[in-house]
Amino acid sequence: MAEPCHASPGTPVGFLTDTTLCIGCKACEVACKQWNQLPADEPLTGRGLSGLSYDNTVDLGAETWRHVSFVEVAAEPSVTHGSPVTAWLMMSDVCKHCVHAGCMEACPTGAIIRTEFDTVFIQPDVCNGCGYCVPACPFGVPQLSDEAHIARKCTLCYDRLRGGLEPACAKACPTDSIRFGPVAELRVEAALRVEQLRAAGQGQAVVYGDTRVGGTGGIGGLNALFVLTAPPETYHLPAKPALPGDRAAGSYATTLVAAAGIAAAALVALGPRR
Amino acid sequence: MFLQDLARSDCIVIMGANMAENHPVGFRFVMEARERGAEVIHVDPRFTRTSAAATRHVPVRAGSDLAFLGGLINHVLTHDRWFEPFVRHYTNAAVIVDKAFLDTEDLDGVFSGYDPTTGTYDPATWRLPQLEERDKPRSNPATDPTLQHPRCVFQVLKRHFARYTPDLVAKVCGVPEADFLAVANAICDNSGRDRTTAFAYSVAWTQHTTGTQIIACCAILQLLLGNLGRPGGGIMALRGHATIQGSTDIPTLFNLLPGYLPMPTADSAQATLGGYLAEATPPTGWWSNTPKYMVSLLKAYYGPAASEDDEFGYRHLPRIGGDYSFQRMVPMMLDREIRGLFCMGQNPAVGGQNAKLARRGLATLDWLVVRDAFEIESATFWRDGPEARNGEQDPASVATEVFLLPAALTAEKEGSYTNTQRLVQWHDRAVDPPADTRSEAWFVHELARRVRQLYREEGGPGSEQLAAMTWDYPTLSNGEPDLDAVVREINGYVVSDGAPVSGFTELAADGSTACGCWIYAGMLDRDGVNHARRRVAGGLADLEWGWSWPANRRTLYNRASADPDGRPWSERKAWVWWDETTARWVGHDVPDFPATKPPDYRPALGAGGVDALPGDAPFIMLADGLGQLFASSLKDGPLPTHYEPYESPVENALHPRRRRNPAAIPVDNARNRYDRSSGRESPFPHVLTTYRLTEHHTGGGMTRFVPWLAELQPEGFAEIDPVLARAAGVGNRDWVVIASPRGSITVRALVTGRVKPLTVEGRTVHQVGLPWHFGWGGIARGPVANELTALVEDPNSLIHEGKSATCSVRRASDAEIAAAREWSRHG
Amino acid sequence: MTTRHPSPTRPYRDVPVIHRAHWKWLVILYFFLGGIAGAAQFVAGLASLSDRQRNHRTARIARLVSFFAFLPCPLLLVLDLRKPSRFLNMLRIVKFRSPMSIGSWTLALFGGAATASALRETLGSEDRVVPPTWFRAALELGSAAAPALGVVLSGYTGTLLAATAVPVWAKGSRWIGPLFLTSATASATSLVETVLTLGDAPPSDAERVGHLEGICSVAEVALLAGWLRSVAAYDRPLLRGEAAWPFRHLTVGAGLALPLALRAFSPRLPRPARTAATVLGTGLTLTGGLALRYALVVAGAESADDPEATFRFTSGSATSHPPEAKLASATRSAP
Repeated sequence: MAEPCHASPGTPVGFLTDTTLCIGCKACEVACKQWNQLPADEPLTGRGLSGLSYDNTVDLGAETWRHVSFVEVAAEPSVTHGSPVTAWLMMSDVCKHCVHAGCMEACPTGAIIRTEFDTVFIQPDVCNGCGYCVPACPFGVPQLSDEAHIARKCTLCYDRLRGGLEPACAKACPTDSIRFGPVAELRVEAALRVEQLRAAGQGQAVVYGDTRVGGTGGIGGLNALFVLTAPPETYHLPAKPALPGDRAAGSYATTLVAAAGIAAAALVALGPRR
Repeated sequence: MFLQDLARSDCIVIMGANMAENHPVGFRFVMEARERGAEVIHVDPRFTRTSAAATRHVPVRAGSDLAFLGGLINHVLTHDRWFEPFVRHYTNAAVIVDKAFLDTEDLDGVFSGYDPTTGTYDPATWRLPQLEERDKPRSNPATDPTLQHPRCVFQVLKRHFARYTPDLVAKVCGVPEADFLAVANAICDNSGRDRTTAFAYSVAWTQHTTGTQIIACCAILQLLLGNLGRPGGGIMALRGHATIQGSTDIPTLFNLLPGYLPMPTADSAQATLGGYLAEATPPTGWWSNTPKYMVSLLKAYYGPAASEDDEFGYRHLPRIGGDYSFQRMVPMMLDREIRGLFCMGQNPAVGGQNAKLARRGLATLDWLVVRDAFEIESATFWRDGPEARNGEQDPASVATEVFLLPAALTAEKEGSYTNTQRLVQWHDRAVDPPADTRSEAWFVHELARRVRQLYREEGGPGSEQLAAMTWDYPTLSNGEPDLDAVVREINGYVVSDGAPVSGFTELAADGSTACGCWIYAGMLDRDGVNHARRRVAGGLADLEWGWSWPANRRTLYNRASADPDGRPWSERKAWVWWDETTARWVGHDVPDFPATKPPDYRPALGAGGVDALPGDAPFIMLADGLGQLFASSLKDGPLPTHYEPYESPVENALHPRRRRNPAAIPVDNARNRYDRSSGRESPFPHVLTTYRLTEHHTGGGMTRFVPWLAELQPEGFAEIDPVLARAAGVGNRDWVVIASPRGSITVRALVTGRVKPLTVEGRTVHQVGLPWHFGWGGIARGPVANELTALVEDPNSLIHEGKSATCSVRRASDAEIAAAREWSRHG
Repeated sequence: MTTRHPSPTRPYRDVPVIHRAHWKWLVILYFFLGGIAGAAQFVAGLASLSDRQRNHRTARIARLVSFFAFLPCPLLLVLDLRKPSRFLNMLRIVKFRSPMSIGSWTLALFGGAATASALRETLGSEDRVVPPTWFRAALELGSAAAPALGVVLSGYTGTLLAATAVPVWAKGSRWIGPLFLTSATASATSLVETVLTLGDAPPSDAERVGHLEGICSVAEVALLAGWLRSVAAYDRPLLRGEAAWPFRHLTVGAGLALPLALRAFSPRLPRPARTAATVLGTGLTLTGGLALRYALVVAGAESADDPEATFRFTSGSATSHPPEAKLASATRSAP
C-alpha cells in the first residue's frame, strides 16, 4: 500500500477515493471533524436515526466535509418479497476541488481561491456569507454555517499540506480507499484501477472526475477523483454536471437584447410621434 | 496467525465476526488479500460491512455455526480433500480411543460419562493414551498409522460428522446447498501444499453455550486441511476489544494466573506447591516447564523473602472453589456474597447480560467504584436507570454508595497494548490527564499501597497475605508508578543481580529467577531495552515492529509450515524450514520449535519434557506435540456436536432429544427465565442476535459520550427484514417492541434487506439484529439491548450466550413510543 | 434539515444532490425593489432619449421612483449578510464571471448614480442652492450612467439565478434575465404611470407611459411562456410546489392577466374610475412582480432539493437513465 505523500507547492494534489476499497468505517468523517474541529451535527437535538442505512450524517455540509454514503442494492427493488441485499455500496464523498470550480467563479469576494497546491479553498476571513457559492456548486458541497454564516467546505487540509502532512481523512483510512497525491499520478492510478475492475467483470466501473464523467461541461475534470462500479447516480453523484458560470454570458446577452427591445418599444411609446 | 499474514491467504472465511466493522484496521489485510485474488467469504446472519467487502456472503441462522463447520468437516472427509501428510504426521488422527468411549451418535446426543443430575461429564473414557504409552509394542496398540482402526481418532471423527450433510446444513442453518458447497469447494481448493485458507472469528463464535466447541470444530477443520502454523493459514482469533489479549495474558480472569498458569483451587490436592505442580505439569510437551514459570511467578509476587522452604509463598495465593465469572457475580451480589465492586473499563448496567438483573445486583452492593472517562450508566443506574424511572425502585432505597472516579484515556497515560495477534506495542503519554484524572496504574498502585498500610495498622483477615506481597514500584514525580519497573517484573529478572532475562528458557524452578508472566519474558533485552517500543516495518513477518509473545514469534506452531522432513510444503508457502548446513530451523519468522532439533529426531525411550516430542511434532505446547482432532480436555465432549442455542425457535435436527448443550450452565434465578418453547406457536418465535457497530465501543462508555461518534450512530435500533416488518405492520424508523422472557424494549426498526428471512426446518425464521451499545447516558442513546439477553454459560469459557436467543417483535403503542422518546431525550 | 423517512429500497431519493440557496424574503424583496429601481432609471433614460422635453415629468418621476425603490436595497442585503462591513468584501475584486460580483458593483455604482440623478432632479427644480461645478458635473455623470446601470441591476438578478446548478433556474438561463428586466420595467412604468395620474401632469404623460407598460406586460407574457416551455422538464416545483399558488394566481392572474384586462377596458371607463383602474392595475402589477420573484426563488429551492431533477439535468444526453433502474444491475464483487 501507498506511502504517505507530501505535497509541494506548484504540483496539483487531490484525492482518489476508490469505493471498491471502502468498508464504510467513517474514520475519514471523524478524522476530518477532529482535525478541523468541526462540531457534530446537532448532537442532542439532532434528527436521530436517519433510517438511511448506516448513514446518519446524510450529506456534505458546512460542518461535514467528508461524508460516507451507504447504498443498499437489492436484487429486485421490491419490499414485499424481502428483496435481499446483494451489495452495499459505500462512498466517502468530499469536495471535488474542480479544475474550474463553480463555487470559486461564483464567489464575489475572492474568498474562494486556488492554493499553491491547486486546491479550492475558502478563506474564512474574506468570505462574507453571500451564499452564492452554495447553489453554484454542481455537487452540493459548500454550505453556509449556521453560526458564523460563512460558506464552509473541505480545505483539503491546507494546514496539514503546509506542514508536510497528508489530509486527515486519507491518513485515517484503514484500507487506503482514500488516496492522496499528485493529481496527475492519481489519474493514472484511477484509470488503471478501472481497467483492472473491468477486466474482472465490473463492466460499469468508471473513473468519476475526468472530463467524460463528473468533470464535464467546462469543469475540466476534478482534483478529487472517485472509482465507481455503478452509474454515478447510484452514489448520488451527477453524471455530467456543467460549470454554472458558463451560462452567465448567454443570460447577459439575452437580457441586453430584451433591453434593446424595451428601448425600441419606449421610442415608439414615448417618442415624439405621439 | 497474525493480521498482516491474512494478506497472504488464498481464501479467508470470516465467520462469527464482523471484521470490517469491528476490526477495520486489521481488515486492510483482508482487502489486500482480496485484491490479490483471494476469495473472501463472510458467513453471517446479517449482510454487514464485512459482507459488502467480501466476495461472497452466506446468510446463516445465528447459533447454527457448528452445524455449518461440521458440514465442512464432513465434506472434507467424505470427498477426501484432507491434507494427508499433514494429518498423518501432525495430528492425533492415528491415536486409538478408549473402548469405553461412546459418541453422541451412539448415545443420542451425549458422550459417555454424562451425569444428568449435575449436567457435567466425567471425561475418563475420553482420555487418550499418554505419549509414553504410544510407542510401547502391545497386543492392544495405542496408534494405527494406517488410520484404518475403527477406534482411531480419524475413524471416530468420520463417524461423528457423517450426518453433517449439505442437506442437514440446509435444514439447520438455512443455507442452501449450493451456497454451502461453494464455500466447501472454496476452502478445499485453497488448501494444500501451495495454498492456504484462513478463518477469522470473534465473539460471535465464543458467545454461545457451544462457543468453545465451535472454535474446536474450526481447529479440526483447519488441521484436516493443513492450514495451521502456515503463512496465510490459520485461525485468526479477533479479540473483542483493545488489549483484551493482554488482559487474558496477565489475566483479569478469576481462574488463571499470568501466563495461562491455572489458578490454585481449594482442592486439598493443591494445598501445597508440590501438589499444585503435580496437577498442573504434564510430563511431556512444553508445559512440562510449568514449575519454572510458577516458581518464578511466586518469586515476583513474594520477593526475596520467598524461599523454597516456604514453598516460595504459595500458601499466600488465593484459592478458587467455584465459578466467579461475571455471570456468577450477579447472583452473588444479590445474595450479598459480593458487597463491593470495582468497575473499571466495564459498564455492566448496559453491557451485562440480563442487564436488569445486573443493575439489581449493583443496587444490592454496599459500595461501588466506577472508574471511567464519563459518567456511565453503571454510575447512574440508581438515579436514572429504568427502575428509577418507572418507579420500580426508589433511588432513596438504593443503599449502594457509588464512587465515580475520572479515568485517564489512552493518550493521557503510557502503557502497552497487546493486540489480537499477541503483539505488544508500547505507547507514551501524549498529554497529561486533566484535573484529578488518573491512570489505572496510579489507581491500582495507590490502592495497593493504602490498603496495605491500613492492614498493617489495623490487621484483619488476609493481612498476612497483603504483607507478604512485594509492592515496591518506585513512584515518579507525577505520582504515577514507574511502569518500567512493572515491565521489568513482568519480563522477569535474575534475582541475584536484577538483570532482565532475555527469554523464558532462562527461568528456573529454584527461585533464582523472578518473572511476572513467563510468556512476556524477552520483551526486554538484557540491557532493559523495551522491544515493544520498536516500530520498524519490514520482512515478511515485521519482526522489528513491537514485540510478540512468545519469543517474538508471529505465527505459532510454525514448524508445521515445513513438511515432516523440514522442507517447505511449497516455495510459495515457505515460512520456517530446517537448514541442513547450519543444522537449525530458519525462516521468515522466529521458529516455534527447539532451534536445533532436527526433523528426524526421535526421542529416546523415557525422555521427558520437550525432548519427548519427535522432530515432526509441531504443536509443542501439547503433551504429544500433535494437533488434537479429538480433544479430551474440554468440559462438554472431546468432539464438537451441534446443539441448538439455549433459546432457539427450532428443535435440534441432529439430536431431537437433546436440544441444548447438556453441559451448558444455566443461572437459576427467578428473574433470569429462559424461553423453553420452540416452533411456530412459541411466544418468542424469532432469533435475536446482538452485536456491535464500528461507530461505538462495547457498552458505549468511550463513544456514546463523544459528539463526533455519537452523530454517526445517534440512536439505538433493531435491524429487521422487510417481511417481518410488514407482518408487524411497521415501516422503516417506526418503533417496535422486542421482548424476551427477561424483559422488553421499545426501539426504532431499521428495516433492511440486509437481514434475510431464512428457511430452517421447512419454515421461515426471522432474525432480529440488535446493537447492544446503547443506554440512557451520553449523547447517543437507546434502550438497553441486554434487557433481553440471558445469563447462561459455555461450560469451558464460562462466557454467556449473547449471539443467539429468541424474541418477539410487535408494533409499539403510542404510549410506548412516547415513553421511548422520553428515554432517548434525557438521562 | 427535515427528518426523512427513506424507503429501504430507494435510498437517498429524498436527499438533495445539490444545496439550495439560503435566500428568503430579504433577497426576494431585494430582487423586486432593485429591479424596479434599475428599470425606473432605464425608463427615465429612455424617456429623456425619446423626447426630453415632452417626457421631462415622466423622467423626473421615474428617477425619484428609482431612488426610493433603491433606498431599502443596501439595507436588505446587509441584513442578509448580517454585518454591514461584509458588503465591503464584495468590492475587493471585480469578477466578470460572477453575476454576484457584477451585481454588487452595479448596485454600488447604481446607488451613486441613482442618488445623483435624484439630487439633480431635486436641485434642478429648486434654483435656490447653486452647487459647485464639480458637483454638478458629478451629478450629470451619475445621471447619465444611471440608465445603463439600471438595466444591469434590473436584469442581473436573472443571470444570478441562471448561473447556478439549480435545474429550474439553469435550464431556462436565457429567459430569466429578460423576464426579470421586462417584469421590472412593467412594474416601474406602472408605478410612474400611477404617480403621474395622481399628480398634476397632463393625462397624455400617463397614457404614454401606460402604453409602454402595456407593451412590457405583453412581452412579459410572451417571455414567461417561452421560459415555461424551456423548463418544462423541471417545472414541477413551479406548478405543483409551494410556489404554484402565488405563481398561478399572483404572477400570472393578478399580475399580468388582470392589469392587461384593466388596461384594455379602462379607456371605456369614466375618468375617476379610470384613475382608480390605473392605481389598481399598478398594485396588481407590483404584486405580480413580487410574486414572480418569490415563485422563482422558492421553486429554485425545491428544484435544488429534488435529486431526480438534478440527475435529469446532468444526465448529459437524451437517454437519461432513472438511477434506480440501474441500481439493480450494480453489483460489487471483487476482481
